[in-house]
Amino acid sequence: MLVAENIHKRYGAHIALRDVSASFAPGEVVALVGENGAGKSTLLKVLAAVHSRDGGRATLDGQPYAPANQREAEARGVALVFQELNVNRAVSIAENIMLGRLRSFRRGGLIHWRRLNEAAQAVLDRIGAEFSVRDAIDRLDLGQIKTIEVARALAADPRFVFFDESTAFLGRAEAARLMRVIGELRAQDIGVVFVSHHLNEVFEIADRLVVLKDGALVGAYPTPEVTEEQLHRLMVGRDLADGLFPQRVSAVPGPVAARVQDLRTRSGLGPVTLSLHAGEVVGIGGLKGSGGEALIGALAGAEPILSGEMEIAGEKHRPALPQAAWDRGVALLPGDRTGEGALVDFSVRENVTLATRPRRWGVFDDRATGRRQASEQVASLGVRTTGIEAPVGALSGGNMQKVVLGKCLAAAPRILLLNNPTRGVDVGAKSEIYRVIRRLAEGGTAVLMVTEDLPELLGLSDRIVVTRAGRISRGFGRDAWPSEEEVVRWMM
Amino acid sequence: MDDVSRSAPTRSLAPRFSMETVRQAFPLVLLAGLCLAFASASDRFLTVNNAMIVLQQSAVLLVAAVAMTFVIVNGSIDLSVGSTVALSALVAAALSAELGMWAILPAIGVGLLCGLFNGLLFAYGRIPSFIVTLGTLVIFRGLVLFYTRGAPVSIRDMEFLSTFAGRSFGVPHTVIIALTATVIAAVIFNQTVFGREVRAVGGGEKVALLSGIRVQRVKLMVFVVSGALCGLAGLLQASRTMAATAQLAEGLELDVIAAVVVGGTPLTGGVGRIRGTVLGVLIIAILSNGMNMTGVDPHLQKILKGVVLIAAVFLTIDRSKISVIK
Repeated sequence: MLVAENIHKRYGAHIALRDVSASFAPGEVVALVGENGAGKSTLLKVLAAVHSRDGGRATLDGQPYAPANQREAEARGVALVFQELNVNRAVSIAENIMLGRLRSFRRGGLIHWRRLNEAAQAVLDRIGAEFSVRDAIDRLDLGQIKTIEVARALAADPRFVFFDESTAFLGRAEAARLMRVIGELRAQDIGVVFVSHHLNEVFEIADRLVVLKDGALVGAYPTPEVTEEQLHRLMVGRDLADGLFPQRVSAVPGPVAARVQDLRTRSGLGPVTLSLHAGEVVGIGGLKGSGGEALIGALAGAEPILSGEMEIAGEKHRPALPQAAWDRGVALLPGDRTGEGALVDFSVRENVTLATRPRRWGVFDDRATGRRQASEQVASLGVRTTGIEAPVGALSGGNMQKVVLGKCLAAAPRILLLNNPTRGVDVGAKSEIYRVIRRLAEGGTAVLMVTEDLPELLGLSDRIVVTRAGRISRGFGRDAWPSEEEVVRWMM
Repeated sequence: MDDVSRSAPTRSLAPRFSMETVRQAFPLVLLAGLCLAFASASDRFLTVNNAMIVLQQSAVLLVAAVAMTFVIVNGSIDLSVGSTVALSALVAAALSAELGMWAILPAIGVGLLCGLFNGLLFAYGRIPSFIVTLGTLVIFRGLVLFYTRGAPVSIRDMEFLSTFAGRSFGVPHTVIIALTATVIAAVIFNQTVFGREVRAVGGGEKVALLSGIRVQRVKLMVFVVSGALCGLAGLLQASRTMAATAQLAEGLELDVIAAVVVGGTPLTGGVGRIRGTVLGVLIIAILSNGMNMTGVDPHLQKILKGVVLIAAVFLTIDRSKISVIK
């Protein structure tokens, strides 16, 4: 039994955790839920001794538990799987799993490879991984890479494993695989605590929910006793009963904004034919790599085209660079917020105006216009920031995403391409982002959205396109709206 | 993208702003400290005459370091500056007899071509700038040696010398030219959309590209601008020594990089200031000048310079922003 009492954690003036108490039992899966900034990851990291605590006590099986660092925590049987992927693709699977304990496989001054591989394979077998230590690491998908990290945590033979938002970057099938692994751990009497924004995962696998809000404990609830709506209310502290998704107003689509004809791209998309009308939100569902990202990449000038035609407002569209697409009124919100969407060390103003880059006298940076654009977007998107000169890296995930969306909107696009617009974003910010997208569509913008989030696909789209292995397997209109299961069936 | 990304920066928000102030003020404090120390050790240090000498000695370094600031903030490096300066100096010297003061045009032009060559290979040939410029460091120097066969080319044209090596109101023309170039470069860096694009590419190439910035063109332009400035530096160097030699400006790139870094611009790209580079140049120049004035052993001087470089970076680098130090 791992018991934490009155845990307190401060970062400068910001209080990340206040008086949080919780207990975790072996063989139990606990989900930590709450909005961004609620303190979920912080609690995990404090308990795994990645961060130190500023107050409170903890006991492990009745013994005082105060590890000085992560290594000591692992020695006591508490291991953490980080949110980010920390696998080195330059070395073997076995080395990645046994990273940090390679010394125990020494023979003389060298590594005893056979013993290392056997030990690593034993860990993989324990969680039912369907790949072996002898496989080439480059051939693994992200879910399998994540499995390596789980195996690494298990190599310490822990009694508790913490997962910090481990499915944030995984596709559907990969996430499902990880859920199976978590089930496997529970069966082996290991205690699992995980953080996730995907409530379907939470309800699917957790035995108990621990809800945090603004760094404080809201309560702990056995999963069967809470509904999704109740959980939303507990997390947000306000009622989302009026719906996460805004109402659709007009059903009459405008003129064709973009057309794609027999398009094939280098990453294996196609041939795909699709048209996109002004004022509609078209959602693309599909497994990762099945073509949705490639399609919006091609429209955005970020994906090389092999053959086929694209048209925007009746004119040929073949952007060699993203710049050419932006010039035609095509804005892209990329899937990786910090690596592709925002410059984290730069200010809100610089990020919002990154695509517009207003000019004075042809060459000079027009700061006044830039400030105005930034203030407008901050106000209309409800970005919570101390000001337009604050660095974007200081914002929460949801607010950072709003800044990236603001960058797209500042360019007043005719076509808005969205790649997983609310990935890793909390429920409150999600509903705000949905409202903005809906408002934009009502204003006549054509929106093409790729998403791995099924409720989002079904709730926000006016029309759904499902992709499978680079082709469109099925389209759904309003008159025959599918269920989640139906959509998934056409993905597989 | 969760609590951590939010709380981690928040943690250091309050202290970072004060640390940030310390960091930004550091080059100025170091410069003031050096001046104070040298002034108390030698009464010849704090004179108008010596100030002019320092400025004149640092003119070439200043122009080249300003050029390097663009390159480093863009996220690249240019190791060929010394050789570009030497090649431009040679062209200026060789053509001074025919063209007089107008030798400035081919000098800058050759620098620009050197930058264009570097930039094309780097941006469109997709070879890392470190490798490209390591190669051209040798190639450009080789061109100088090949042409001169090791013999100096001296400048005798009076028009050339009075224009570039003369003085007005006691101020050397090299200093005026270098400062003018610095001011123009600072305006380009701080006030233009191009300057923004340079910083954006250095801050995150993928983000810049997907936001519609022509990344490769920006990279090429950075090297062209930097090459042209190095061409000007070459002209200043030639007029100061009244000759171009095969060994001219050898190893200059190291002083240039040192000046940029001491001025507070990290090698990681995205951030940096021309003002900081000006301070960095002055620190390096005053350190040399002051140590000469106070009679520090020349061999010891080298050691002290290295110590100052490392200490400056040690004290000013923002480690909270850099997770991996390479």
